Amino acid sequence: MKKLSTIVFYLIMALAVTGLAFAGGEQEAESGAAQEPAKESSLEASLALDDEVLALKAADGQPLIVLQKEQREVPPRPADPEALPEDDPLHWWDIEFAGWNANKKNIPESPKDGAIGKKIIFIVHGDHPWTTACTLGAQKVADVYDMEFKPMSPNWDLAVQNQMIDQAINERPDMILLIPIDAKTAPQQARKINQAGIPLILFNTLTDAAAMDYCITWTGPDDFGQFRMLSRVWADKLGKKGGVAYVQHNPGGSPYFARCWGPISELSGYAPDIYTLDKQAPGFEADKTMQLVSDWLTRFGDELVGICAADDSAQALGIFEALKKAGREDVLVIAAGNSKQGMDLVKEGKLYAITYQTAEGDGALAVKTAADWFNGKEIEPVRYLPKHIITKADVEEFYPPQW
Amino acid sequence: MIDRYRIFLLFIVVFLFMAIFAPRFFNVFNLTTIMRTMAMNAVVAIGFTIVLICGELDLSIGTIITFSGVVGLGLKEYLGYGGSVPIAILTGCGIGLINGLLVAKAKINSFIVTLGMMTILQGAIYTATGGNSISLSTEDAFAVSDWLSKMILPLITPRVLITIGFIVFFTLFMRRTRMGRNFYMVGGNTQTAWLAGVNTDGYKIVAFIISGFTAALGGVLFAMEGSAATLKLGDTSLMYIVSATIIGGTAMSGGKGGVFRTFIAILMLDVLYNGIILFGLGNEVKIFIAGLILATVVMYEAYAAYKHDKIVGQRAELLKELNTKHGK
Amino acid sequence: MMQTVQKESTQIETRLRTQSTFNRIFSTLGVYGVAVLFLLLGIILQISGVINNFLTAQNMLNIIDAVSLLGIVAMGMAFVTYSGHYADLSVPTTMALTGIVCVEMLKYGFFPAVIISFIVGLLVGGINAVAIGKFKANPIIWTLAVNYVSMGVIRLVWVNKQIYPDLKASSVKASVLFDNIYRFRFFDKIALPMVFLIILVIVCHFILQRTKFGVQLKLTGSARNVAKFSGVNVERVISIAFLLCAATATLGGLTVTSLSKVGAWYNGAGYDFKAVTAVVIGGMTLAGGRGSIIGVLGGVLIIGLMNNIMTLLGIGTFSQDMIRGAIFILVVGLNAKSLRSQGRDDA
Repeated sequence: MKKLSTIVFYLIMALAVTGLAFAGGEQEAESGAAQEPAKESSLEASLALDDEVLALKAADGQPLIVLQKEQREVPPRPADPEALPEDDPLHWWDIEFAGWNANKKNIPESPKDGAIGKKIIFIVHGDHPWTTACTLGAQKVADVYDMEFKPMSPNWDLAVQNQMIDQAINERPDMILLIPIDAKTAPQQARKINQAGIPLILFNTLTDAAAMDYCITWTGPDDFGQFRMLSRVWADKLGKKGGVAYVQHNPGGSPYFARCWGPISELSGYAPDIYTLDKQAPGFEADKTMQLVSDWLTRFGDELVGICAADDSAQALGIFEALKKAGREDVLVIAAGNSKQGMDLVKEGKLYAITYQTAEGDGALAVKTAADWFNGKEIEPVRYLPKHIITKADVEEFYPPQW
Repeated sequence: MIDRYRIFLLFIVVFLFMAIFAPRFFNVFNLTTIMRTMAMNAVVAIGFTIVLICGELDLSIGTIITFSGVVGLGLKEYLGYGGSVPIAILTGCGIGLINGLLVAKAKINSFIVTLGMMTILQGAIYTATGGNSISLSTEDAFAVSDWLSKMILPLITPRVLITIGFIVFFTLFMRRTRMGRNFYMVGGNTQTAWLAGVNTDGYKIVAFIISGFTAALGGVLFAMEGSAATLKLGDTSLMYIVSATIIGGTAMSGGKGGVFRTFIAILMLDVLYNGIILFGLGNEVKIFIAGLILATVVMYEAYAAYKHDKIVGQRAELLKELNTKHGK
Repeated sequence: MMQTVQKESTQIETRLRTQSTFNRIFSTLGVYGVAVLFLLLGIILQISGVINNFLTAQNMLNIIDAVSLLGIVAMGMAFVTYSGHYADLSVPTTMALTGIVCVEMLKYGFFPAVIISFIVGLLVGGINAVAIGKFKANPIIWTLAVNYVSMGVIRLVWVNKQIYPDLKASSVKASVLFDNIYRFRFFDKIALPMVFLIILVIVCHFILQRTKFGVQLKLTGSARNVAKFSGVNVERVISIAFLLCAATATLGGLTVTSLSKVGAWYNGAGYDFKAVTAVVIGGMTLAGGRGSIIGVLGGVLIIGLMNNIMTLLGIGTFSQDMIRGAIFILVVGLNAKSLRSQGRDDA
């Protein structure tokens, strides 16, 4: 009986809470921007800030934002990419060029009243010193435009990211910037935001093509493009022949494909005498990677002449421990950059080349694109970060590291 | 009195704190968000609580969540949700059955069995999907997702309703029916339960099957609402549910606790995390506070037992008599 | 009459004699039986040409190198499991915390930094020791809570950033010494972590088998109340077990931080379950009071052998996971079964 009465008590309490909440009204949070005195003058003021933004620098001394002048060359989409062989670059069309053939649905119109004082919510995918730097870069740009900038991080938990998206929608900001935790979860997340009528920019992680229909644009690194460039540099140094192995990124995300099948599909045309011995995904731990590479050396011996790694910090360190132990420091290693450990390895001559991927620039470009949209400018469907291959010759220019 | 209703009091305190101090907390949308967030973990925690009451551990629930989400969405294009969802749930039950058999019949420690099963399932998930997450962007998939997340009553969406339905069912089952109360007996003192004629092996197996069932149910519903299944869907759930169950008052030694308390503990934790996000604080604060609460709860119980142990067996009158006799 | 009695008594079968041959082999050899099986498997595969270079010195060294770090952490974890407290789940963040503290303190020099990190590690161990030893808090949940709190502390104090040893070090020499924790090799072959492991195995084995503390720990793990009533200072014994675990976690943390050349909050992730897996495969039951350090070493080597053979066979990482999980259950199940066939209590 006592138990029943406690259950009833709590049920009544729950109903009371619900009633209170309901009565508390559909308390929509305050609308985004502060009141602008006159549309045109704030738009002008906002446009005037463009130069100041473009002059900003990241922690490594590189310019924070470099707007790309040339458009990426996008080949026409084949009828059925999946049917093509895996080492054909066009097989990966849907992943590599996601966003270029989107059917935009229901995208809000720009209010064209400048970016000053706008409220933006910045949702990343997880906690890592990289995202700390990314948020910092975004904050730098937001400060110039005096935006109300709110960063959120779900720490790699999908349920939490969905919750954050819900809470963000509830706050009715002027724009949401989102890195989806996974390429495949993005469609429904983007659709939810789109249906709430809030402008959305997706960035950093390439998403499933369906998500691109619901966002204004996608900004971020051109992973595939960088790795195609990098693989050519690699192949040239290798003399365009030999057996190579790939240490992959974690499965599921776009880097998993870009940093492994990007080079494979590129080299199948550029250097057909280079062949793949193995590809594995040991995670981002140095000791696991070390064990993997040691075992590769045991298995393949002198046949292995090159290794391509998805990460230039923990994975690269593991690779070099294994190479040093086996006395095989002749193996040519390339990786995706650019962390401090990676740059140190390039400086020491161990890593041959790494890609340049500015963390601060990633966040900054997303915010700048948002500002451009508020300013009423025409936004391309996809905006890339600058591409660059770092080698020993120019690695000094990228110190001190961003994260 | 405080001891028995500790978790309810804690929940009220946290809720009131957030309602008063957290910006934009106390409105229908935010409270509905909280309900939707807790829906998956709450239903999975039912099974975990029952297994814990039996005195065993099920560490594989996180991977069962992911696996059933993957199966449910992956098979949809061949069988539709009407076919793939039952299969996903049956798979969860099957895994629970294997766990239960290994624990009850082969008599291997449940920590070991479920840890091994977790590793096996992780590999199975990646092998089955080839490393790709699954996303369904067709109109009917979105329709199901929208239906599950639509608000039909204030604070209640269909998925929340299903969760609450199961919680009510299992709470009443565990407290009111003889079969439910037998679980407590099996956990409290297995030998005595066996001597009393309760089929302890059978109950343990059923507990694991229920755990597999609720994990699969929670996972597949979550995947349907998000219209996507990632390969790490359930990774964070395990530690979260373990913490919530312990905070809710179910002990690892088995034999006490309850499904409803675990539910309130999960509600409390979700309210807390929601509030922390609203305050704009980072994840380090969230982790830190979660650890503090857990430590406080564990220490509170341990200290109470410690104090109790000190005086147990002592006879106060005898002690007084001895002291006065020897003039101490 | 006497003769009949004698004859009858010799016809009485004892349980030991009904043990099957398989169980007998398994229980005497223990985990090394399984290790030998794996070695044989590798040799057979090599002879049949499926894999090559398995039985080379380099490959064997690679295996031990790969598991040195795991072995160091497992040694301390073994003490906790032996004491009947299942596992110390605060090991991953203790590793990360001591690593990042060491890197931060490198500005005072290498040796002061190491000493300070050990103090910090032992502090965490001390917190565990008091809560679990004295107040009998549930070990799994308490150490889990400490794990979260430590993680929160690391991220709050270092503001979600990571720090680099060469930038923090007071001198180049300090930085080089730090890097060498992982990288130094005797005769260019034998890595320092391997040496740490061997020393730890010898020392821990001695502690467990030959000292009074070891015997007391065994009794505490088997039956805590009996130990208490026999006059063993149970609280002190359990405290020392947790302090030892924290000490090896510190050493492991310094090693892993030296390897990845960065002090960060995510170093050491996953080592709690990995270490428990090794300890349990090595023959220590979760209920405590049974097993040996040599067994744990065997468990660690089995894991290394398993991974090595699977990679040489070209099995994908995730298929490896499935096989690892199955073998884990199998080995522990066999161990429990053989114990039970001897009539002994199991976990």
